[in-house]
Amino acid sequence: MRQLAFGLVLLTANAVCAQTLRDAEARWKARDYQGANEIFRQLVAADPNNPDLKVRWGRLYLDHAQPNDAQDLFAEALEIKKDHPGALLGLALIASEGFEGRAADLARKALEGDPKLVEAQELLAYLALEDNDNAKAAEEAHKALALDANSVTGKAVLATIDWLADKKETKWDPHAAKGYEVAGHFFVINRRYEEGIEYYRKALELDPQLYSARSQLGVNLMRLGQNEEAYKQLETCFNNGFQDAATRNSLKLMDSYKNFVTFTTPRTILKLHKKEAALLRPYIESEMEKAIATYEDKYRMKLTRPVQVEVYPDHEDFAVRTMGLPGLGALGVTFGYSIAMDSPSGRPPGQFHWASTLWHEMSHVFTLTATNHHVPRWFTEGMAVHEETAVSPEWGDRLTPDVIAAIKNKKLLPVTELDRGFVHPVSPGQVVVSYFQAGKICDYINNKWGWNTLLAMLHDFAGAMETADVVRKELKIEPAEFDKQFIASVEAETKTVVSSYDDWKKGMRSLVDKVAEKQWDAVIAEAPKLRDDYPDYVEDHNAYEALAQAYLAKGNKQAALAELERYEKVGGRNPETLKNLAKQLEDAGRPKDAAAALDRINYIYPMDAAAHRSLGALWLVQDNPKGAIREFQAVLARNPLDQAQAHYDLARAYQANRQLSQANDECLAALEAAPGFRPAQKLLLELSNSPEPAAPSPVKK
Amino acid sequence: MKLAALLLASALSTPASTYYLTITGLGGEPDYTQRFKMWAEDIDTSLKRAGGDANVITMQVPTREQVRSRFADLARQVKATDTFVLMLIGHGTYDGVDYKFNLQGPDITAAELAGLMDHVPAQRQLVVNMTECSGGSIEQLRRPTRIVVSATRSGTERNSTVFARYWAEALREPSADTDKNEAISALEAFRYAQQKTTDFFETQKRLATEHSVIEDTGKGTGERTPNLENGEGKLAASFAVVRLGANAAAARDPVKRPLLDRKEQLEQAIDKLKFEKAAMPENEYKRQLTQLLLELAKVQEAIDK
Repeated sequence: MRQLAFGLVLLTANAVCAQTLRDAEARWKARDYQGANEIFRQLVAADPNNPDLKVRWGRLYLDHAQPNDAQDLFAEALEIKKDHPGALLGLALIASEGFEGRAADLARKALEGDPKLVEAQELLAYLALEDNDNAKAAEEAHKALALDANSVTGKAVLATIDWLADKKETKWDPHAAKGYEVAGHFFVINRRYEEGIEYYRKALELDPQLYSARSQLGVNLMRLGQNEEAYKQLETCFNNGFQDAATRNSLKLMDSYKNFVTFTTPRTILKLHKKEAALLRPYIESEMEKAIATYEDKYRMKLTRPVQVEVYPDHEDFAVRTMGLPGLGALGVTFGYSIAMDSPSGRPPGQFHWASTLWHEMSHVFTLTATNHHVPRWFTEGMAVHEETAVSPEWGDRLTPDVIAAIKNKKLLPVTELDRGFVHPVSPGQVVVSYFQAGKICDYINNKWGWNTLLAMLHDFAGAMETADVVRKELKIEPAEFDKQFIASVEAETKTVVSSYDDWKKGMRSLVDKVAEKQWDAVIAEAPKLRDDYPDYVEDHNAYEALAQAYLAKGNKQAALAELERYEKVGGRNPETLKNLAKQLEDAGRPKDAAAALDRINYIYPMDAAAHRSLGALWLVQDNPKGAIREFQAVLARNPLDQAQAHYDLARAYQANRQLSQANDECLAALEAAPGFRPAQKLLLELSNSPEPAAPSPVKK
Repeated sequence: MKLAALLLASALSTPASTYYLTITGLGGEPDYTQRFKMWAEDIDTSLKRAGGDANVITMQVPTREQVRSRFADLARQVKATDTFVLMLIGHGTYDGVDYKFNLQGPDITAAELAGLMDHVPAQRQLVVNMTECSGGSIEQLRRPTRIVVSATRSGTERNSTVFARYWAEALREPSADTDKNEAISALEAFRYAQQKTTDFFETQKRLATEHSVIEDTGKGTGERTPNLENGEGKLAASFAVVRLGANAAAARDPVKRPLLDRKEQLEQAIDKLKFEKAAMPENEYKRQLTQLLLELAKVQEAIDK
């Protein structure tokens, strides 16, 4: 697409230094990037105030996957000539690569400056199709074709509209490598990876040196777990000088796969980093099994192969898996039957509910499979968000300030345009708002029309129906009317929070100061209203924790406990606070509830050995030796300094579960670390006098 | 187990005392002042709770003169058979040559601190310097019979540290006693505090700005992981900072002497067996270990009666 304007800008620049610029362009076209770059350098040095040269040079950098350098040159061109169409177009292309909402504005501005700038017109068509706005995309593509009847991107956009709708034959087939690359991109961002791969292959058949397409082929093969070929394709790009961030980082990531171990069951494939595999496997594997069983029942379908989950302790590694994709993708991403997600160890404690993310992503596996990847983004995300709280009400994300602002400022999008909020957000917060809105829409439909209606909508999407038609068919209502009713419902539900939000912010600032100054009476007086005005606020410096702290300082343990229980129930995730809740519950003689509080931490931050040990001890006395074994095994998996205690605890749990041989082994391990450890010595004597091991007790949890 | 043997030997000879001196430096800001005070009080409480022969002194933000005066007292009180522990909590600086511990008024250099410690007759000494830049004090403080722990590996780690928080925790935390001999050695406390400090930075997803080290040979620059290869940690393993139980008292009972002798033999046999583990068939190792551990457990049971 970038090379389509080649001739147009070339004509302008030719006037300046025809012979040499032509040479630079020729080298560029021959993919001699270094040679072309050198000539551009000399040209710009000789004529530093020529914006056209800077724009062409920027485009060279952009073509060579160096957007930062390109951006600098476009900015310099704009300084020389305000509203330079080529420079604006360059910036629009960079914004488009990052799915930035301003890309369309920049392209329009470029067109205002040069109404014949076909590449800007093509970009508008491209961006509209990214929003799944087919009508607008077709309109813009036709405009591009009117400017240039051979516009490859114009044809590719029109052809892709047909191909995405499963029409195999189209009169717009561009029969060009770049055109098939465009189609590949659209299939990928619509989560139809296998078809996307086929279009990239088609592009490479026509032009084996189109390394941008080859790189995307490699990246998407990697997404589907076809690592061997993925690596070869990416390596070919790298060795031929195409070393954009996606190529470079994907290769680096694949090199690191040697540090991962794979665990399989008939239904699951779990890839974990060696350093945390022993700890995380029991927790993640069991949630995967549970999610599959639950969703197969809910979605009334059977998966045909195991689901793969890759868990990355280094967020940068995970980020490689989401490069070039729209949406937040901050915690997890699903590629068909394959999920990649952050490890709970990859985030500060309390900032990430890994189990909620896992269930969210697993839901995508079902909605994508059920619709053969034809589900629109808003619906699959909405269902996934809906499923988070369906597992447990305190899971899922809370109402955030971004969402409150969007409701207050009437920024929620019409349901037929909601995909735009994910793909081309106009602000960073809009993606979060779109997740919220999509989830709420699914909740709303579920409550008003029922689960079967959501399933019927899913089946309609499988038939490639568009959102507006699905709404009309299943909800028997016009989309605009649906928006009206839905927004009224959200506004009613959030009325208190939205109307009191500004006062709440002021009140919280004052409360934080009072906590710092230990004015506990004032905290106790003011915090309840702040808590009730915005009950979903459980992040740093929330009213629940402030109140609990104040009550504890005043010696009112009962009130503190009640506050901490409220915090837990509403979705508070700070592991330290949940540990404090467990302690208060234990002190209050409620060991079962204390264990439940600690067990919640397992779904948030299972890296805390002390929490595992406390939970193991609680379960041991509550006659849940299986649970205790899991927890004490988790302690050992953290490789604690106190090996003797950890092995001894596990030995006791095995003994309680009548696994005497394992108990003996663990006891020996404890004493091997600390031969003088008296409790372990006593247990060893006890075990040596035990009768033959009995059968293990049945699973209790 | 070698530690247990050394403790027993020491307990059977002349009763020796451990002298503890904890000094907090200037905080500079209320937050640091409060933090340093809290950590020092935590240490003070743990040491006093451990009781027995502890002589515990804590100086909150003293002047250099007050420090000198306190060391003069110690030089008179302490015997060669005693042990001496100095713990420094606060801020430190390092200019590439001199390390200074920030006090009220003029600061005190590492060289002067070393000189003051040299005048304390205790042959076995431990100094735990928990300030930023504390790695810059190792060269001055190290001696062949002195263990030096520093919160940072060099004088150039200049961010304020959290090591002291976890060192204080180690002195009251039974899980720091990894060999379960009811005493927390300098090496155990170091490893505990080091691990907790590492966990702190990892959990917070922050770049670690401090890397604690230990030096107990009198000639090293400090090691992150003391072991047989680098020769560090041997003295620290046998230096009990806090005793948590009553093992020393039991050791003084002459009636139990034969049992204690047998216990020591068994512990040595277990140590030897563990050393040979790699060269033995697994089952044979397990059989012999079980046998020794069972006998040890029975002997301990008899001692405890």
